[in-house]
Amino acid sequence: MDSILRATCMYIALLVVFRIAGRRSLGDLTTFDFVLLMIIGEATQQALLGEDFSFINSMMVIATLIVLDVGLSLAKLNSRRVAKLVDGHATLVVEHGRFLHGRMRRTRLTEEDILESARTNQGVERVEQIKFAIVERTGKISIIPQE
Amino acid sequence: MEEEELTSRHLPVEEDMPAQRRVWRFERVGWYALMLIVLLGLAGLFGNGPLSEATVRSADGRVAVDYKRVSRAGIREELRIRVQGTAGEPLTVLLGGSLVREASIETLQPEPLTSLSHGEALLLSLGTPVDGAATLYLTLRSEHIGPLEGTVRAGSGSTVRFTTFIYP
Repeated sequence: MDSILRATCMYIALLVVFRIAGRRSLGDLTTFDFVLLMIIGEATQQALLGEDFSFINSMMVIATLIVLDVGLSLAKLNSRRVAKLVDGHATLVVEHGRFLHGRMRRTRLTEEDILESARTNQGVERVEQIKFAIVERTGKISIIPQE
Repeated sequence: MEEEELTSRHLPVEEDMPAQRRVWRFERVGWYALMLIVLLGLAGLFGNGPLSEATVRSADGRVAVDYKRVSRAGIREELRIRVQGTAGEPLTVLLGGSLVREASIETLQPEPLTSLSHGEALLLSLGTPVDGAATLYLTLRSEHIGPLEGTVRAGSGSTVRFTTFIYP
């Protein structure tokens, strides 16, 4: 019983913390982000399992997490409100070759970040060549070049 | 931010700027909340820091207990009991409360001469210290979550009560 409650609390706590961290934080994983993520996983694991390293306990924790995760995706499927609450929204940051600086500041993006994404994904050099740049719900930056 | 940037676009994606601004506000407020939690953690609000340590004395000053106001489930905490008795007389200490029932006493130093059950409490006799003063060092560990109350009594008038809150 204990481990199910722990797993549930941890799931909700992590959901909230990663919503606070925002899309940008772990969207494009750098090596450092990856290490950070592993440390977070390590810290979580201790609290989830406690001192009980039995097979049953770990299966309970895994089952609880899967049930919650599938449940949440079903809830997102049925309700647009829940989906928006959990996943957030896509946001435009470049419109017809023009940076939207206020929005970029709120999403913690620099001009350099967007241009980097434009170069790697579309081979675009200048902001004037970008029709739209969108921060997706996953934190990735999509670039649509000018025709 | 400029008014123009705040209006929702419909192409190439359907935006909901009022909701997006709420998300941004949530991220900002949440960041401050996390920072507050970190600072409170440093101060010891969740155990293991200056805010969590406390000392309580009995009215006549003969019993003093150094304890932790807050602690966390599953970690070892120290408890120090100082008793001032009368020189040349045997000293007994009665340990009671939910702390004794719920937490397990991992170590008890020095070993008492006798350790008797007294209802649900523990009656420890510490022998006859030369100057009448004795100090007991205990390490406790609790899996119980919530407040735990401890009482320490030596003689008739010297009682100390304290509460420890155990976080999950």
